[in-house]
Amino acid sequence: MLQAHSLLWHYLWVAPNAFLLLLALLLLRRGFHKKYPFFFTFAIVGALGQLIVYATDVIPSVTPGTWWLIFWAGLVIEGLLKFALIGEIFGHIFDPYPSLARIGKFLIRGVGAALVLAAALAAAYTPQDGLFGIVSGAHLLEQTIYLIEAGLLAFIFILSSYFHLSLIRPLFGIALGLSISACVHLATWAVIANGGWANSTRSRLDFLNMATYHVCVLIWFYYLLVPGEARGETRALSIDPPKGPSHKEELELWNRELERLVKQ
Amino acid sequence: MTLAIILVIVAALALIFILGITVSRSLQVSEGASLAGKIQPIDVAAFRNLINPAEDDYLRRRLSASEFRVVRRQRLHAMAAYVQTAGRNAAVLVRMGQSALAAADPQTSEAARQLVDNALLLRRNAAFALVRIYVALAWPNSGLAATPILHGYERLNGSAMLLGRLQNPAVPVRISATL
Repeated sequence: MLQAHSLLWHYLWVAPNAFLLLLALLLLRRGFHKKYPFFFTFAIVGALGQLIVYATDVIPSVTPGTWWLIFWAGLVIEGLLKFALIGEIFGHIFDPYPSLARIGKFLIRGVGAALVLAAALAAAYTPQDGLFGIVSGAHLLEQTIYLIEAGLLAFIFILSSYFHLSLIRPLFGIALGLSISACVHLATWAVIANGGWANSTRSRLDFLNMATYHVCVLIWFYYLLVPGEARGETRALSIDPPKGPSHKEELELWNRELERLVKQ
Repeated sequence: MTLAIILVIVAALALIFILGITVSRSLQVSEGASLAGKIQPIDVAAFRNLINPAEDDYLRRRLSASEFRVVRRQRLHAMAAYVQTAGRNAAVLVRMGQSALAAADPQTSEAARQLVDNALLLRRNAAFALVRIYVALAWPNSGLAATPILHGYERLNGSAMLLGRLQNPAVPVRISATL
């Protein structure tokens, strides 16, 4: 199924996935896979999957039908891994705080269900683009996966922003890269799936997708391998010294108030 | 094609929002120790008076129905201002607590974790309370239970003082104005 593509096309398809595999190996050496197992799995499986799809694209003996079947399989596996990764990100942010963990899970399940419904409606209203079912179906599945993924990631950012929870550097990098990729891919696949771009110029959108993914892989490299400013260090709290009673008296006073409230 | 345009706009807005958070996060890194200065102490006694149901009952008995609604709305507006301040203070305390989470001293780290958890609970309750207050503004005769906010705020004050003492015994954090 060899198609005439430019050198840039081949580079943008292969390089990000080769870099992602390299990143996975570097992270394995640092023991990162124990803390973020789904990101590690996503990096390995996602990159290998894309490289297999690339290889079948350039091998002449692979028929278009076989290529699309392989593409479908990769899409489904990568989609499932991404949702597992989003769950991992969410757990790392909210699980350490019992006051938010329960309501957070409740909210994200609600948002997830609403997004599935919205994606199903969007798919139902997407016009048939006249291509083979296996091709237009893949476009629709891409749109559906990225709509749910982008929505879930935006919700995680909204929730953590509302509660002023700052994500630790690696987690922030993973979420940022995944979000940029999801938003750009959602826009491009929505245009492709809805037939809003002529077939002759559609490759520009493919370039945009691949270039964005390349940028996201570099973002992961930066946030996961380059150490940031030490934010976790203990800082002295610069506040006015107390003018009223001593700490002991203050605590006793508050405790009395608490007991009074509990007994109300 | 309309659907494609809608999805492109949604994706662009989500991307702008996420990139905006990235920029604000990089600006927060240099904020450092000035965070505590952003805390606005709250007069807990005055807040307690505002949410006291007995006060409302007294006003209901002494005032005509229309006068009571006016006074009740004024009290609800004041209550909302207190709750908003409590929520903002909770947000500041979340950031202060998070900056101390990785402290080498396990006692400080545990105090920081408790402070963040209490502050998150308060911020959550403040959001719920604000919704209830705004609903009550539409129906001033309805009851309103804001006591969980007060309870949470007092517990938060204890956590903040504990973390402040562990980090710097000379200057504990104070988030209430009455003491």
